[in-house]
Amino acid sequence: MSALTTTGTAVLDVGRDIRDILRFGATTIRFAIRGRKDWKMVLEQMHEIGNRSVFFITVTMGFIGMILVFQSSLQALKIVPDLSLVGATYAEILIRDLAASIGAMMLATRVGAGIAAEIGSMVVTEQVDALRMCSADPIEYLVVPRFLASLLMTFCLLIWACFVAYMAGMATAHVVFGVNYYTFVNFMLVDAGDVIVGLTKCLAYGAAIPIVSAQRGLATFGGSEGVGWATTSAVVSSSLAVIVLQFIISALGYVIFPG
Amino acid sequence: MSAVSDPWPLRVPRLIGGAALSIGEQLGGLAVLSGKILVRLFPPRIDRHELVRNLHKMGVKSLPIVVVTAVFVGAIMVIQAAPLVTRFNARGLIGWGAGFATLREVGPLLIALMFSGRVGANNTAELGTMVVTSQVDALRALAIDPIAYLVLPRVLAMVSMLFVLTILGDVVAIGGAIAAAQALLDVDPRSFMNSLLVLLDEWDMMTGLIKSVVFGMMIALTSCHFGLTVTGGAPGVGRAVNASVVAAASGIFILDYFSTYLLG
Repeated sequence: MSALTTTGTAVLDVGRDIRDILRFGATTIRFAIRGRKDWKMVLEQMHEIGNRSVFFITVTMGFIGMILVFQSSLQALKIVPDLSLVGATYAEILIRDLAASIGAMMLATRVGAGIAAEIGSMVVTEQVDALRMCSADPIEYLVVPRFLASLLMTFCLLIWACFVAYMAGMATAHVVFGVNYYTFVNFMLVDAGDVIVGLTKCLAYGAAIPIVSAQRGLATFGGSEGVGWATTSAVVSSSLAVIVLQFIISALGYVIFPG
Repeated sequence: MSAVSDPWPLRVPRLIGGAALSIGEQLGGLAVLSGKILVRLFPPRIDRHELVRNLHKMGVKSLPIVVVTAVFVGAIMVIQAAPLVTRFNARGLIGWGAGFATLREVGPLLIALMFSGRVGANNTAELGTMVVTSQVDALRALAIDPIAYLVLPRVLAMVSMLFVLTILGDVVAIGGAIAAAQALLDVDPRSFMNSLLVLLDEWDMMTGLIKSVVFGMMIALTSCHFGLTVTGGAPGVGRAVNASVVAAASGIFILDYFSTYLLG
């Protein structure tokens, strides 16, 4: 019976969390479309979310590009005689999925933790209550600028991530396996469907990360320990949101654009 | 840094130098911390109660998130391979393709990233709060070594639990891949397992598990180091958590490259 209670409580908790986040997302999007927008704050957040993540994204995506090409070439050599198609396959899978999804996992860590920590410390120092006292909606005032900034900057960063990973992969293929650059640069397998799926993912992740982490940040309670807890929860939830969205969009993409 | 009064040509080298110095400082701190931990490992003086508490908190409590991540990872690998498989009409190879990617690379990597987000960030926050509220100094005043009492059990718990969770995650991810292959590509589970077992060997799984130990050490060291070096009160804890998660993620990717290269 206690096992049943434990499982049931967990399921109910998850259900409530999902409902809360969806409702929070709907409010944010409504405010983002209709409400007042503080463009100065949007610019500040774009700097915070975008410019400060460039170095991090470049390093991690460079390494992941090298790893992907290294691993897949080693395996491909087991069943095919030459590596002439590695570049084309790599370009397809990078554009369709991996660049956006792995880059977004990285951004979920950095951007998500930052947003939750910032909003969380505002909650525990009662700055959010002060905003409410001034009849400023915290969602409109705090969340919408971060949402807009993240939507735009995630989009740009993930395209940059794709470029970096492609270049790193090309260099690895050339240096380690002696694949000619002209053979590697081959976009034969990339079609409109791949690009549409990839860009949809960029937009979806850019919207999901700030919504999930801001919701976690505003739900902070307790003192500084609560901020740490909210940050942890924001990183985990936004990474999970990225994985779930990746699953949904990939499955839909396969159904709509097969092959 | 008094970069404000500098003429602009000097600002760029100053920024680059400052960044390089701070990265060097963190790397040196990590090396010193791992040295201190190693010294206390021979002979082992571990607080048993603290170790069990951390094993439970870091391992058992992370179980749901690892299981959910692993199911999706397995399914996503099959979905990504699906266009290739249908194009070359190689349904028999899907088990190999998805299994290889999951066991060797993506499974350990994503599980480690989730673990870093949940356990690593939490650990930094916990240690950081203890530092800013002078609880670590209180331990020192009682002649209790904070490294042996606080850090060693945490490091051991993180490394061993990430290893165990990766084994479990591998199993669950293969399950997710089998379900996705049957639903999407109509591949029989038996033929999936067959291609997986024939074309992969124990070494492929071992590679992933060795990586998980390396990732576990990276997460444990960065989260303890950033937690213990917190300065500046409660906002400092927030900054440290952020820095620790970012450092752990970068470290995981960089070590992943080198271990892939070394393990072949």
